[in-house]
Amino acid sequence: MDEQACPRCKTTKYRNPSLKLMVNVCGHALCDSCVDLLFLKGSGSCPDCGVPLRRSNFRVQIFEDPFVEKEMDIRRRVMRDYNLKEEDFANLQDYNNYLEEVERIVYNLTNNIEIVSTNQSIDRFKRENKDLIAKNRIRSGREEIILEELLEEEKILVESRKRAIAHEEMLEKKKKMRSKEALIDELMFSEQSAASIVETFKKRKLEEQEEMERHREPSPPPLVAATQFSTGIKFSQRIPKDGFLPVPKEDDTPLFKYEPLVLTRNGPSAPTWEEVTEKKYINHVRESSVVERAGGYLPQLACLRALEEAFDGLRTVAVARWTGQVA
Amino acid sequence: MFSTSTQKKYWLFADESELLKARSEANAKFVASHGPKMTEEDRNELLDANEEKALLKFYELQLRDFCRRFEPPMPRSVAGTAFHYFKRFYLIHSVMDYHPKEILVTCVYLATKVDEFNVSIDQFVRNVKGNQTKAMDIILNNELLLMQVLNYNLTIHNPFRPIEGLLIDIKTRGTMVDPERLRPGIEDFLDKAFLTSAPLLVAPSQLALAAVLHSASKIGENLDIYVTKTLLGDSSPEALASLVEAVRKVRSMIKSMETSPKEVIRVLEKRLEKCRNQENNPDSEIYKKRQFEALHDEDEKYGLDFPSLIMSGDLKLGEGIFEINKSMTSP
Repeated sequence: MDEQACPRCKTTKYRNPSLKLMVNVCGHALCDSCVDLLFLKGSGSCPDCGVPLRRSNFRVQIFEDPFVEKEMDIRRRVMRDYNLKEEDFANLQDYNNYLEEVERIVYNLTNNIEIVSTNQSIDRFKRENKDLIAKNRIRSGREEIILEELLEEEKILVESRKRAIAHEEMLEKKKKMRSKEALIDELMFSEQSAASIVETFKKRKLEEQEEMERHREPSPPPLVAATQFSTGIKFSQRIPKDGFLPVPKEDDTPLFKYEPLVLTRNGPSAPTWEEVTEKKYINHVRESSVVERAGGYLPQLACLRALEEAFDGLRTVAVARWTGQVA
Repeated sequence: MFSTSTQKKYWLFADESELLKARSEANAKFVASHGPKMTEEDRNELLDANEEKALLKFYELQLRDFCRRFEPPMPRSVAGTAFHYFKRFYLIHSVMDYHPKEILVTCVYLATKVDEFNVSIDQFVRNVKGNQTKAMDIILNNELLLMQVLNYNLTIHNPFRPIEGLLIDIKTRGTMVDPERLRPGIEDFLDKAFLTSAPLLVAPSQLALAAVLHSASKIGENLDIYVTKTLLGDSSPEALASLVEAVRKVRSMIKSMETSPKEVIRVLEKRLEKCRNQENNPDSEIYKKRQFEALHDEDEKYGLDFPSLIMSGDLKLGEGIFEINKSMTSP
């Protein structure tokens, strides 16, 4: 948790770790109780730097360093105006220059360097690219809404699944309790012997279990967020599923073609699998037992292997010269 | 397959002169790098290529006996693999650099792993005479080195399966009566072949054929017709000629195999002790010091200081790895 204390009340931070620090545009932090105290009237001044502040400008601090929070704030403000994308530029160089310009502005504003001239360049940019900015603003607005809708759907799915599982568990529990109670009742009031009652109950339980296995109820379909009117007209902002997806690229890599293995054997060729049995090579190899055959071993394998190794390399002529230490 | 294996690509040489080149190079390299560091008298003890060869032959006999007496019984292919590793290792390094006793056990251990004859290290050292924990350390320390020197070419094609194949073929297509009679001769031939440099010069199937032909001639049978007609009937005469040449080479190598008498070997061993690379000698002070330094940083923080205990003599390591069986009969 934060080792920092609120600069005003210092003590309360350690005692109550759930207390959150709120940070403002000037970068100084205050715990939420201090915020309430100071900004009861709605507006006041920061206790550290005296800058006039409003209560609405306070945000829950995410980073420990208030400097980072300040920069984040400034960046958010700047990006609202500087929202051009790569497609809006003629070439990569221009886009990179634009990005560097953005960084320079944010840096200046955060570190209080040349504030006046920086604000002037911001205004200039706004004036020059007014329509581009507006267009992008609309576009990003749309994307955000689509994302939100997707998230909503996911959440609903997860919730309904959880609910279904909980429901099932509850049913199971109830059933178990009921059967237990029934057993006890029977034992108390019935006239049969205890053993036979227990037997009948056990049997019934087994039958029930088998029934359950056989008729597994399909879980109820999860509730889908309402995306269309009952007449079928859709009212989501999302691009429809079969809309303009990117065209799949042609895969030009060659398909796999099986090429049989070519063995270089420096000697006469060994017989094939069939020849081994036909030409009676197999008679000179020990028969395989049932156990071995179950594991997949056939005497032809051993026979062929011995023959292949015998013939392989008979024509080898060694020519290697000693060229110094190997490795 | 042998034809596509690294054994053929990198470890099959044209003839004995190439091997000689390799061994003398290894020897010269060792002398050049370690000669200046040794004292004058030690320098006189340096072994030359021929003496190294004699020593290696002796240790190959040791290797063979170690594999023969191994518990649980070791399949012949494992022994064959170990032989290959041993021969290859001493093409690259000199005998004085790494003692053959140590490399021997490491080769066999690696061979059991590669050939899927699974033996745990405990079971393995139970077959080693002498201090077994020390042997265990030696093997485990040398294993990676061995693999590296072999350039990680660990698959070895041995002639045992080609023998089986040839016998099946002779029984099916040949005209000989009861080819099983060939087996003892074949075994004997292959045993001798592994003690020569033949595995580094010919393909395993050629080695197998040489064994079969030799064994046949011993029992008075002639398989030449089988070889020329059935085996190579469809190949060119050059192929036949090269095969004949290879077979002849192997047989002559085996015939000319000689072993030095034991006294010579003993003298050479003593000289080896003096001139060997002490950095790789687990009994030497330098080696122990190096291990000490390597372990010292780790162990200090646990409060255990085995290396210093060893150095101070409170904890003793055994002497010698295993004793050579004094009652060695000639092969």
